[in-house]
Amino acid sequence: MNLTSKPLAAIIFVVFFGGIAFSTGMGWWVTESAKQPAAYTEGEFVGQSNPADIRGSYTFGVVENAFGVPSKVLAQAFLIESNSPSTFAIKGLEEIYAANEFEIGTGSVRLFVAFYNGLPIDLTADTYLPENAAALLQDRNLNAEQSAYLKTHTIPNPGNPAPEVAPTTEPSQSAAPAETSVENLIKGKTTFQEILDWGVSPAMIEQVIGAPMPSPLTKIKDYCIEKGLDFETVKATLQAEIDK
Amino acid sequence: MKIFGKRLFRPRSIWIRRVVQWFFFLLIAIIAINHTLVENGGGIPFLSTASLHALCPFGGVVTIYQYATIGTFVQKIHESSFVLMILAFILSILFGPVFCGWVCPLGTVQEWVSKIGKKLFRRKFNRFVPAKLDNILRYLRYLVLAWVIYVTATSGTLIFADYDPYFALFNFWTTEVALPSLIILGITLLLSVFVERPWCKYACPYGAVLGITNLFRVFQIRRVESTCKNDGVCSIVCPMNIPVDELQTVRDHQCISCLECTSEAFCPVAKTVVFNAGGVK
Ligand code: SF4
Repeated sequence: MNLTSKPLAAIIFVVFFGGIAFSTGMGWWVTESAKQPAAYTEGEFVGQSNPADIRGSYTFGVVENAFGVPSKVLAQAFLIESNSPSTFAIKGLEEIYAANEFEIGTGSVRLFVAFYNGLPIDLTADTYLPENAAALLQDRNLNAEQSAYLKTHTIPNPGNPAPEVAPTTEPSQSAAPAETSVENLIKGKTTFQEILDWGVSPAMIEQVIGAPMPSPLTKIKDYCIEKGLDFETVKATLQAEIDK
Repeated sequence: MKIFGKRLFRPRSIWIRRVVQWFFFLLIAIIAINHTLVENGGGIPFLSTASLHALCPFGGVVTIYQYATIGTFVQKIHESSFVLMILAFILSILFGPVFCGWVCPLGTVQEWVSKIGKKLFRRKFNRFVPAKLDNILRYLRYLVLAWVIYVTATSGTLIFADYDPYFALFNFWTTEVALPSLIILGITLLLSVFVERPWCKYACPYGAVLGITNLFRVFQIRRVESTCKNDGVCSIVCPMNIPVDELQTVRDHQCISCLECTSEAFCPVAKTVVFNAGGVK
């Protein structure tokens, strides 16, 4: 049987678009990750969405749906000027705050959402919020530990002059250690190769991530997202190794 | 055109292939632009907002290992890539790498740039690489494939995106694109002035995968020896430099099923080079 170009063209269209239509009908045609954060699996808030699982790919709108924090409040907290704040992707914060010495990113949104809703979140890592966000949290029901953490982890809004002792307004042990070199801070774009260069051994990395050493060119944050690890926790542990 | 049953005018190219190529190029370009618009708070209604990764069948290939071992997809790869991978495989098993010859927008863009080379160099175009070197280089894409699968499996991330000219082609306006992929895209387009489809021939890991299906595809390019005048036209027009006039059945891993060598296009004798299932007399 001979086949010519026109039937072949038709077959290509039928196979691709028919296949996509069929897989859509079967629920297999998924072009993005499910935007539903994982729930707490234990404790008082079991079953509720856990802010620690907010991803950089989420928009403020997704956070609003999952946690009830209005997009407008999030935009105000992180100084995002947009007519449709619900479409702002959280990963965009890193770029906006790139010039800041202390990272404002996905971790900051997780912290803000947790404090806003009075939900528990790991406070062993150093995560910072801009002044605006901290101000919005003042009239929320923060416990003593959360209030103390907020006081020591607030940085000036971009464009505002930095206070003499930034970022803390009170001396605190959990603020970034004075001897930490700014260049050797783990950020969202830091790769495993960089922390190897800063003196962390491959064995230590493997111990922290609980898996064999990935490709050194992998970004630590990307790796954590992929493997379902909490970036803030991994970051804090590795940062402590770098600071030793 | 036919008058009294006689063909007066025979098309010199498979024009419908160009239409299909344009269609898929525009479709992917518009979706890529829409994805950027959506990320910036805009977007075109009723149009897919998927990322380029979600619409790449090769993403399905590179994530097979991770999916089989730990049941998750490589970062940024979704179920849609798996679906497209299966559809492209079905087409390839039946017809060979039609995805490369008819659908892939990077192949299309290389062909567009090659038109400049054809005008400049005429018969010399696509004949610059010495045959011996060319024969060796044609297997390079299997090394690229092995490397891509290895780094993806060990890192769990799409490291290849940083080197992928296809990703650069539809993302050069975003901050997601990495410099190496832009450089490789530039080199590919420059080489396309001298060589037809240089990326496909020497480096494309997905072409390497699909090319294997040429060994067993149901429809094969076949030459009917009894009517063949051995004028060599089929070999001259083949973009992948396959010596069709020396073969009875084209099983070369580089064939992209473009049909340009067939009697429907450049072969001047009717029913002599055909795309056929079941064999010819
Ligand atoms: S052998 Fe024929 S179908 Fe295959 S690439 Fe060459 S011209 Fe196209």
